[in-house]
Amino acid sequence: MSQGKSRFHGPLEPIGDCRWRIPKSYKPGMRVDGLIYADEQLIDQIRQDAAPEQVANVAFLPGIQFASLAMPDIHWGYGFCIGGVCATDPDEGGVISPGGVGYDINCGVRLVRSDLTESDVRPHLKELMDELFRNVPAGVGRSGKYSFSPKELKQLMAQGPAYLCDRELATPSDLDHTEARGCLSDADPDRVSPRALERGRSQCGTLGAGNHFLEVQVVDAVFDERAAAAMGLAEGMVCIMIHSGSRGLGYQVCDDALRRLRQAPRKYGIDLPDRQLVCAPIESPEGRDYLGAMQAAANFAWCNRQLLMWQARESFARVFDTSWQSMKLHLVYDVAHNIAKFEHHTTGGISKRVWVHRKGATRAFPPGHPEVPDAFRSIGQPVLIPGDMGRASWVLVGSQGSMAQTFGSACHGAGRMMSRKAAARHAQGRRIDEELRGKGIEPRAHSWRGLAEEQPAAYKNVDSVVDVVHHADLARKVARMRPIGVVKG
Amino acid sequence: MFRTFDHTADLGIEGEADSLERLFAEMARGLFAVLLADLHAVRLVDRETIELPGDPQPELLLLDWLDELLYRFEVHRRVYAAFEVHLDDSGLRGIACGEPLDPRRHSLQHEVKAITYHELRVWEEGGRWRARVIVDI
Repeated sequence: MSQGKSRFHGPLEPIGDCRWRIPKSYKPGMRVDGLIYADEQLIDQIRQDAAPEQVANVAFLPGIQFASLAMPDIHWGYGFCIGGVCATDPDEGGVISPGGVGYDINCGVRLVRSDLTESDVRPHLKELMDELFRNVPAGVGRSGKYSFSPKELKQLMAQGPAYLCDRELATPSDLDHTEARGCLSDADPDRVSPRALERGRSQCGTLGAGNHFLEVQVVDAVFDERAAAAMGLAEGMVCIMIHSGSRGLGYQVCDDALRRLRQAPRKYGIDLPDRQLVCAPIESPEGRDYLGAMQAAANFAWCNRQLLMWQARESFARVFDTSWQSMKLHLVYDVAHNIAKFEHHTTGGISKRVWVHRKGATRAFPPGHPEVPDAFRSIGQPVLIPGDMGRASWVLVGSQGSMAQTFGSACHGAGRMMSRKAAARHAQGRRIDEELRGKGIEPRAHSWRGLAEEQPAAYKNVDSVVDVVHHADLARKVARMRPIGVVKG
Repeated sequence: MFRTFDHTADLGIEGEADSLERLFAEMARGLFAVLLADLHAVRLVDRETIELPGDPQPELLLLDWLDELLYRFEVHRRVYAAFEVHLDDSGLRGIACGEPLDPRRHSLQHEVKAITYHELRVWEEGGRWRARVIVDI
């Protein structure tokens, strides 16, 4: 699929339990092994692009702990592969790398449950999708109805959605059900450039385009009744899933950091096999600047998803002529899948505070972990895995295996299988929207091209990715969700 | 001339011209061909001057040029379809011709998050200047 990308010819040693090792002897400079989670079928696809080479390259990073990890939805990215997890120790000169987070800082997913069933919603589905399409700003170059002054933007970046509580656009319960309560405490809004503020000021509460979406889904199957009940989920229930990130503000923060860090590897004597792994020691001025700006952008992204949810709640309220509270449109959870943060993990038998990069990977803390909200402490942290618009998405819970193996991480989605142009060609002469309607899914999209490029056939089957994660005990299946309505940018 | 090409989940722009300055102009057209469904829908009503400091590495100057245009598209809501570029020791002086974005006439097709460093390259070959850049969608 990847033009110009060579097949990976290096070693991929099967070491059982859906794990494949790239030994550190593969390339001089690797400090640790590479470890990819996949089954036999997935590993065959994975060999087709250079993503395993990227896993090996990340192993060069100073201070890297245990292994350079990749989840089963791994595919090629900028510097780090998508699906990559890497922890570095600041006490060992550990580095921070913007490529380990991605341009869309805190791209992530949230899931909202409801007391509505599919039979409640079906008679009103077209009207509901029209209302969502009207109210939830999506698409290229579209700004939202909320505009913030530079001072207000700084508050959003400093506090996350807690700032929106005072404006009655968030509830305390929404914060309880958001990863990190929607606020990373090392955020430093003053590190965010004026250009990033300009890009972000009218985009908070907008979906964006590309693979971002808002979906109305139905819980299709429940695999863990107890965990589903703790989350307020049941078979046949209508839910809302939202996938979006930090919009132009985050993209610019990443861009600014890549620019600022251009000379950092040379300055700090870091030898890199790929300039897109550009990085600096966490404790350096450049490292701390990026950390502060990135976490500010992450908090902005949580505000973005909060406002998207708020607009969706209002849309449901209008169509069903009752308050969203009476329909119990409560936030189940919100997870980030492009992020980096300090966490405590045991590595080499020692408990350490390490800097964990997750790029296209989701935190998956197990039952009992203190950072898991009270409501879920006994079952584990909800892990939300969006699939493609025609098939399924998943809800999992973090498992003990994730802490032992992957710095508390699991996969994030399905991964693309077909390039954008190939998908657009594949769509020629076809009505993707009608095909989706034929499956009982009501689509709304701002761009035919966007819908074509995001068609189900362009993606791998998320079921196989989730199977690996479940089998490896990184996260356990709770429920499978089926889309009935899709809003795309 | 320019063309777009597939690159994993994103898109690439490849350009070719008889001078470095015309190459920069072509790559800019390529960027707007990714953003817009139809470059021909852009009327060349306004001319804007853009000045950027030089960089010894032409690919980094190219990245800065495309970055600036992306910023103006997103924040100033401008679309452009024709460019003139002048390069000298002090840097880049560009003229971008276009108009304000009009959603009724300009159909937007891709959100470009950023101009990436991946496979970013500017080179001379057989008397022609060429460039490749990947944009994050």
